[in-house]
Amino acid sequence: MSPSTVPCVLTEKVREIIPTSKILVVGAGGIGCEILKNLALSGFADIEIIDLDTIDVSNLNRQFLFRKEHVGKSKAMVARESVLSYNPNISIKAYHDSVTTQEYGVNFFKRFKVVLNALDNRAARNHVNRMCLAADVPLIESGTAGYVGQVEFIKKGLTQCYECQPKPPQKTFPGCTIRNTPSEPVHCIVWGKHLFNQLFGEDDPDQDVSPDTADPEAAGSAGLNAAASETETGNVQRTSTRQWAQQSNYDAAKLFNKFFKDDIEYLLTMENLWKTRKPPKPLNWREAASHEGDADNSIDSVRATDMQVWPISKCAQVFASSIDILKEALSKKEFLVWDKDDKPALDFVTACANIRGHIFSIPQKSRFDVKSIAGNIIPAIATTNAMVAGLVVLMVFKVLAEDYENCNSIYVRQKSIHSNVVIAPDYHLIKANPKCYVCSPQPYVGVSVNVDVMTVKEFETEILKKTLNMIAPDAILDGKGVFVISSEEGETEANNDKKLSELGIVDGSILKVDDFLQNYNLTIGVNHYVAKEKDDPPYKVVADVDDLKPSVENGQQNGSTESSEEKHSKMEVDGNAGDDDDDLEIVDKPDEDDPQEGTSSKRRKLNPPEDEDDDLIMLDDP
Amino acid sequence: MTEIELSTAEAELYDRQIRLWGIESQEKLRAANVLLIGVRGLGSEIAKNILLSGINSLTVLDNGIVTEEELQKNFLLNQESMGSNIAEAILTKAQALNPLVKLTTETEPVSEKPDKYFQTFTIVVATGLSSKQLVRIDSICRNSNVQFICGDVFGMFGYSLADFQEHEFYEDQVKLPTKTKRTHEGKPTETSEKTTVKIQRKLSYPPIDQVLPTSEKKIVKSGVPGKTKRCNELYYLMRLLIQFRDQNNRDPSFNSKEDDLKKLKEIREEIIHRYQVNEEKLREDVFNLIFGEVVPVCAVVGGVIAQEVIKAVSHKEVPIHNLFLLNPYNFCGKEQIVGA
Repeated sequence: MSPSTVPCVLTEKVREIIPTSKILVVGAGGIGCEILKNLALSGFADIEIIDLDTIDVSNLNRQFLFRKEHVGKSKAMVARESVLSYNPNISIKAYHDSVTTQEYGVNFFKRFKVVLNALDNRAARNHVNRMCLAADVPLIESGTAGYVGQVEFIKKGLTQCYECQPKPPQKTFPGCTIRNTPSEPVHCIVWGKHLFNQLFGEDDPDQDVSPDTADPEAAGSAGLNAAASETETGNVQRTSTRQWAQQSNYDAAKLFNKFFKDDIEYLLTMENLWKTRKPPKPLNWREAASHEGDADNSIDSVRATDMQVWPISKCAQVFASSIDILKEALSKKEFLVWDKDDKPALDFVTACANIRGHIFSIPQKSRFDVKSIAGNIIPAIATTNAMVAGLVVLMVFKVLAEDYENCNSIYVRQKSIHSNVVIAPDYHLIKANPKCYVCSPQPYVGVSVNVDVMTVKEFETEILKKTLNMIAPDAILDGKGVFVISSEEGETEANNDKKLSELGIVDGSILKVDDFLQNYNLTIGVNHYVAKEKDDPPYKVVADVDDLKPSVENGQQNGSTESSEEKHSKMEVDGNAGDDDDDLEIVDKPDEDDPQEGTSSKRRKLNPPEDEDDDLIMLDDP
Repeated sequence: MTEIELSTAEAELYDRQIRLWGIESQEKLRAANVLLIGVRGLGSEIAKNILLSGINSLTVLDNGIVTEEELQKNFLLNQESMGSNIAEAILTKAQALNPLVKLTTETEPVSEKPDKYFQTFTIVVATGLSSKQLVRIDSICRNSNVQFICGDVFGMFGYSLADFQEHEFYEDQVKLPTKTKRTHEGKPTETSEKTTVKIQRKLSYPPIDQVLPTSEKKIVKSGVPGKTKRCNELYYLMRLLIQFRDQNNRDPSFNSKEDDLKKLKEIREEIIHRYQVNEEKLREDVFNLIFGEVVPVCAVVGGVIAQEVIKAVSHKEVPIHNLFLLNPYNFCGKEQIVGA
């Protein structure tokens, strides 16, 4: 430990405590690497770092503590060694682990002077937020996305917490848009991923790719003759797509004709769908393989194979060749998991999405673009991470000085012709939302749910864990003392498949929920609710009961937390968030599993949780 | 075109940034040859960021020697490098950041480099220089169409100053669809997809000697006093600190704090007088914050400068025109046009 590395411009008091201040860095990605370097070169000598991730090639353009030979190794471990190589005199403890596990409880967090988040997903951010509130440790939250980034100070009782404001929901698409009436490239890409899972992946009934006869919009048009044609077209209902593909030995021509000719012909029989839309044009294998526009650029350059849209004949060819490879891979495993970095898997989705796009007259996309959309990749660069991590450590200095009033949020913006501010601090701290369901004194949330349909297990998984971000909840029905959910294994297993109403949870019931790990108690008011329209969400979660009354359109202005489904009608316009760089919204790293997401419905997620790209940070780059 | 086309390995390595600035920008970076003068606290940050970005070559020029103080703030050094030349000492670690970049070092003082030396680069990045050298190198760069940017960190304060001459660039502007539609309304002729249009723009940069005038005459001519009313007072702090460096051949040091504070105050008086700066806006107490290169400030300013280098060589995105000033109290970072 050499205290002379402490910046001389700091006050005597801060200079003295820096070497002994224990700091936790959560995440050793893009921002995490930069933070570690800044801490080590500013005299901090007692650092702990936690990250469950391993190093990937695409990290190396910014996660500068890692090199090619480290690919596949633990980020936390390599980061530690790398920092010690230029400053061997400090103590760094590294954990290759998830911060949300039981080992890192409130007592773990209490040991730190300051916690620095350098995470890439909202679920972990929410969790660390709760742990720091419970342990009453100051938290500095940070993130980047491309040219923009932000740093935010969070302290119990003084500022808002990470969950005080609702975050924009993850995009979802209604099942019938994906299966019947795609209108944008992303719909075709989601369909392509679902087809991958149907043919090679783990079975998920929510990822059906065949025509959806239950589409209310098609009511009255498909009818009986459609059902009749169904048997000829491959018996969709009786055998699974997977079994059928296996029986035909993954013959590319047969698969092609089923998905791009027969299924499309079937869709055309649902006439109501095409009254105001351009009807799709079925395409058969022979036609596709010799499709015009065959300027097949045989040059295998990055630009040609990755950046240009493939002609349909190439799509057909890639469809067949990727199926061959995937079939082979599947023969050694029970199922495959779609991964944007797996070339045949990406090729397959690119080919399928573009063939479907062609059929529906939707613009086609290059493999590079398909990868961005399908993998939900947030661009990340070294410079923004460096700036944000610098600002994080400058804020640590202020926190150690207990100069909290000056720990305003600070934003890195993209330079624009209209603004001369590149790094913009807020003028004051943002106060806590008094109705926050996490940091208010009596956290309360209203849940509207069909108590006759939802099971206890679904309630636990979808609402308590995915939406409310709990790790190991216990739930008791207030007034009746019924133990509904226990975090102890096996204790309440008998309740799992029961409907909520069977346990006496009805309209007006109050549930007392407790997450021991997060030291978090929440009161849930239950409202019985029946979804009427097909676009209605299966359930709603709101922090402020008053928000249950106004229409969906008002949802965004108030401080409520709502499930993504509720905002579904606004989805198509939400691409606007990034185009005004004066907009100081939370830049969340979106390649994450959005905890606001409900998945029990037929709604399609762009990115299921298992394939999150942990690479980022923001809240970036990791 | 083919020789600068990216390989598959490069496309994979630079994937996350190509998704931000596009393959054309990456190809331009790939063709860029950068000279970095000074690789101390700030210089090491700039070196890291531009090596990672994937330029063709980086030449690092520094005639300094590794001292204990240097060791403590430069992650490209290690204990064994004590006493050796700084540029040479950083070579191994810097190269490891990106083995694809051609990295060379120069140990001669910059003042001994002939004019033609600078003409071979795409852009010159200078840190730690006197105003005389800054003005000299900038004028050489101007004559041969080489872009130029410089910057420094003094304690919690930092700045960057660019001369990209007549700089043409484009920016992507995202156009939202005029009408948004719901999935189920089914108007197939409309698409709610965003479209991107390239907007071409141009900015004129004044030469460095109009920002850091070496004689009073020039200041008047360049019209800086006319701008004083709206000019960010941090500009004068920058002038003051560069003047200290010019006069003392070094930056203010914590080891001679009392002495240096006295000198700084004298220069302050002079500047306040010369430019009629509001005394309240350039207060003496800021001097407590300007000692040493504070590492996280180097990270911020090094990030800004490297990003400007990337914008300059790729001719993409709006660059800072022409001065960037980082407030040492609240870290607000603003653009200020001076000398134009």
